[in-house]
Amino acid sequence: MLDQKDLRPKDLGRQDEQLIKLETYNLMPLLPPYDKPGMQPPITEPKPAWREKYCASLDGFIALDTLTRPQTKEEEDEFVRKFLSGLEKIFSDANNGILEPLLLSFEYCAKCNTCSEACHIYKAAGDNELYRPIFRSEVLRKIVKKYFTKSGKLLGGFVGADIDVNWETIARLGELAYRCNLCRRCAQTCPLGLDNSILSKEIRKIFSQEIGIAPTPLHNKGTMLQLKTGSSTGLTKPAFLDTLEFLEEDTEEKFGIKLKFPIDKKGADILVLHNAGEFIAWPENPVAFAILMNEAGLNWTLSSEMMGYDSVNYGLWYDDVQAKKIALAQMKAAKELGVNRIIVGECGHAHKASIVAGDRMAYGDTKVNVESCLPLLWDLVQSKRLKMDPSRNNFPVTLHDPCNVVRQMGIVEPQRNVLREICPQFREMTPHGVDNYCCGGGSGFAIMNSQNFPSFRDNVASRMKFNQILGAFQGKMEDASQVKYICAPCSNCKGAMRAILEHYEATEKFNLQYGGLVELMVNALVSMKKPFFEFLE
Amino acid sequence: MSQITVGDLVVELDEDGFLEDHKQWTVDVANYLAKTEEIEELGEEHWKMINYLREYFDQFGVAPMVRKMCKDTGFDQKKIYELFPAGPGKGACKIAGLPKPTGCV
Repeated sequence: MLDQKDLRPKDLGRQDEQLIKLETYNLMPLLPPYDKPGMQPPITEPKPAWREKYCASLDGFIALDTLTRPQTKEEEDEFVRKFLSGLEKIFSDANNGILEPLLLSFEYCAKCNTCSEACHIYKAAGDNELYRPIFRSEVLRKIVKKYFTKSGKLLGGFVGADIDVNWETIARLGELAYRCNLCRRCAQTCPLGLDNSILSKEIRKIFSQEIGIAPTPLHNKGTMLQLKTGSSTGLTKPAFLDTLEFLEEDTEEKFGIKLKFPIDKKGADILVLHNAGEFIAWPENPVAFAILMNEAGLNWTLSSEMMGYDSVNYGLWYDDVQAKKIALAQMKAAKELGVNRIIVGECGHAHKASIVAGDRMAYGDTKVNVESCLPLLWDLVQSKRLKMDPSRNNFPVTLHDPCNVVRQMGIVEPQRNVLREICPQFREMTPHGVDNYCCGGGSGFAIMNSQNFPSFRDNVASRMKFNQILGAFQGKMEDASQVKYICAPCSNCKGAMRAILEHYEATEKFNLQYGGLVELMVNALVSMKKPFFEFLE
Repeated sequence: MSQITVGDLVVELDEDGFLEDHKQWTVDVANYLAKTEEIEELGEEHWKMINYLREYFDQFGVAPMVRKMCKDTGFDQKKIYELFPAGPGKGACKIAGLPKPTGCV
């Protein structure tokens, strides 16, 4: 094992059982009240059986639960060969969707390390060399140099091609591609505009498209399940309809509101596309959407057709082919319904997948306009179409900025305008807006729970966000009778919030609550006879 | 992945102890899994929940949301945790032989 300070990119080819090990005392310190001893749960060590089966030799965490150790030398060689073949392909014209920014990021890095200071994982891990955004990029450069350049082939180590390439090297690199949330904060800060997350994503892509290796929650139980059943939750059409019916009854019983979800309404103006996980884990979110849209008198509908009721597109995180299949199928479902536009609910990666990426995949008549829910929600508040009583939300509220919506798409103000209007104790995190930090759940981390990966997510990836939350509520933390609400308008971010609040027992100890934006809006509706939030009852 | 042997039956479990193949579920498997979930013996109320979950899964191919689970069985969340210490998903659904929840849940 190496001291992380001595770790260099070429060390990825070393034969150590594990390159580095994280210790809680080396991580970035947490703010009060979590600065006291005993407030932090320990980091989970890999079990010996996992070491034998998977690649735990990077930092002891396992993200790739389908990457198992080869049994024969042939299998080992085949794995390396496939990776190199994939590597050659990503630099060819076949990869034209991303080739230009990929080449820029690959060739022009000045190694100034401005990006490291911007990276929440590098900082949270205590300035750990392994997690520098350019560390993994450098490994990739060395491999390319060694195999695909004349100078590298001839001169090797003298020109930077000084890395042993074996099964361990490539497997570690695959794991390392899952120590990056693809949040692109590094790209935003790079003086040359280079984007290291592209390289992380391309490594993930080679693993999936070329070697057939991707985390089970993203692939087998993610995109594959969605293409088969209509949703990565496995929610089928009958189950979806049963769920909606239940929520209608439940809402009437609880709040005395005769709620009706419009379903498959042909020619409606708006198709609302939710992350289907909301219906199962956070049903109050789609219920709140329906209450608001009905009260505002919008002409909207949900779809119960295949691919029409789950906005997720995990392909975005690891596999272009899967991403395209899903994006086009979702657009087709909207087209068949004849709506004017899709409004994407509170799901960050779905925003990017269907508004930015999907928009480039569809052409001509197959295209449907896709918009974010946030400007629409602000419009409903601003135009006074909804009658609000802000005093109902008179508790401290802070806002988490989902990277895909805010940094990637520039939708910064609508959501905070709503909060300024309806939450008298709204306070910003530091920093916020496009400078926000990722929740630590980005790019699939929130749903990757195999082996000890949650320990990396909760202790390291989400650490900066947890500190930001603590910072926003300083002075309010110790009073456990005081509700404190983290508004996270994104399903994936909510998953990460739930995980860190449980990890630090922060709801139990300090009454930290979390949820979306529409729930706060419904809670403030003058027409509501009782609080929408259970924790206010 | 691991294997358990219940009587003559060899059953595959995933890393979190869920059945790899929900069709392998039997009453004996449920009793076996219950012991791993800190439940000494499955009583009438446990079975009410297990049978409900299995029926729902047979009909819809997915587990019901927790809120529906509570309403249909008459158990509130606190009661579910009393019966199944690991909770509705990792406890009740697991013993009922349902697959591990997937997607953003």
